[in-house]
Amino acid sequence: MSKKQKLIFKPLEEKTITWFKNSNEYLIFENTTADILERLSKGITVKNIAIGLSKKINVPFEKAVDFISNLKKEVYDPNHEERREIRNGYKNIKKPKVYEFVKFYKINDIVFKVSYLNENELSYIHPKFAHLSIDAVANYQNEFEVFINNNFIFLYVNRNCIGSWSYNDVHYFQGKFSMELIQKIHQKKENEWLGVFHASAVSNGEKAILFLGDSGNGKSTSLAILQATGLTCLADDFVPIDVKKQEVYSFPASISIKKNSLETLLPMYPELENSAEYHFTRLNKIVRYLQPNNNDFFAHLPCNDLVFIKYEKDADIFCHKITKIDAFQQLVPDSWLSPIEKNAKIFLDWFVGLNCYQITYSNNHKMIQAVSKIFNNDL
Amino acid sequence: MKQQQKNSPNKIEKITRKEVIKKIVRYGKYATLTALGTYLILNPQKAQAQSPGGPTGF
Repeated sequence: MSKKQKLIFKPLEEKTITWFKNSNEYLIFENTTADILERLSKGITVKNIAIGLSKKINVPFEKAVDFISNLKKEVYDPNHEERREIRNGYKNIKKPKVYEFVKFYKINDIVFKVSYLNENELSYIHPKFAHLSIDAVANYQNEFEVFINNNFIFLYVNRNCIGSWSYNDVHYFQGKFSMELIQKIHQKKENEWLGVFHASAVSNGEKAILFLGDSGNGKSTSLAILQATGLTCLADDFVPIDVKKQEVYSFPASISIKKNSLETLLPMYPELENSAEYHFTRLNKIVRYLQPNNNDFFAHLPCNDLVFIKYEKDADIFCHKITKIDAFQQLVPDSWLSPIEKNAKIFLDWFVGLNCYQITYSNNHKMIQAVSKIFNNDL
Repeated sequence: MKQQQKNSPNKIEKITRKEVIKKIVRYGKYATLTALGTYLILNPQKAQAQSPGGPTGF
């Protein structure tokens, strides 16, 4: 038996964003169409809705009935396929008795012991957190175990199996590892997070700005440039926002610096010259890791501004507000958003209150000035 | 019918779209209905993810 459809409506800039609980999808409709869906959800019949629609937009009654029936069948009725589960089986597999690499990471005053079966497992996680390594200690608060078995990578946290992932889903394994980490650092369960954004977050100590954009647009490089000016790196690549206050939370991973950004960043960060280089051949990517300047990984700050940033050779500085509907279309497909109804509503309410900008630049100094104006509400 | 949405003409910079635009039915001369039946579907990530990185294969 199909579940009753549950919708949330949020008008925004002449459109209506509609959240569908059954599929955790966000659809953007014309306001009239969203109004029809709302009436359907209240149990009003197709014929009764069609009477009003045919008058409102001056179309024959039977065309209005046909339209609403199609809308009901294709959009309203919860006939979406269940989304593919990422996690896979093998839950009862035996954990290894011996791990080749055992690392201890200290994040503020919390110590994590992470055991990796061998170098392969180590290489998926450790490089981003190496700056947090400490010598082995007897007392630690959390124990993570990572091992590959039967072509799946397994994650255990405090002896509980969190899941297993195939190689194609290894970025979800890395995401879950990070999610478990922030839950332990910030003492919040998964249902207390609004979402995790594929972004960089920088703060001036009072508030945070999020930088978004496709991979390769320069989010991390811009973050590193801004960090060198004295702003604080809150998070790179994985930016969690909480439900209670809708604040951006610190994530302690290093900033991933691609090889083609080295020339720009070496004068600011001479330590990059001799730092380890990682070759991700399948992704055609060579990276080094830069330690964030944040010294309080418990930090969390409000965020009112989203910036879609792009480095483009020889481009003049371009810094303007963009429509929220445009920004929403960019943000959602790149983000994990909580599927819980209450959280989806809070997310939509939070989003419509944001300022959204686009910065395209080639001159670092001009980009820094533009970001400073956004921090000062001066744009 | 599915297609990738084109960038809106008032945008100065090109932004890659990952959403899907759908039309319920084309209504010929009733262009208003065709417009009302055009909508965007945005799917968040299925789970928390990191940017890919690491060795090739297990």
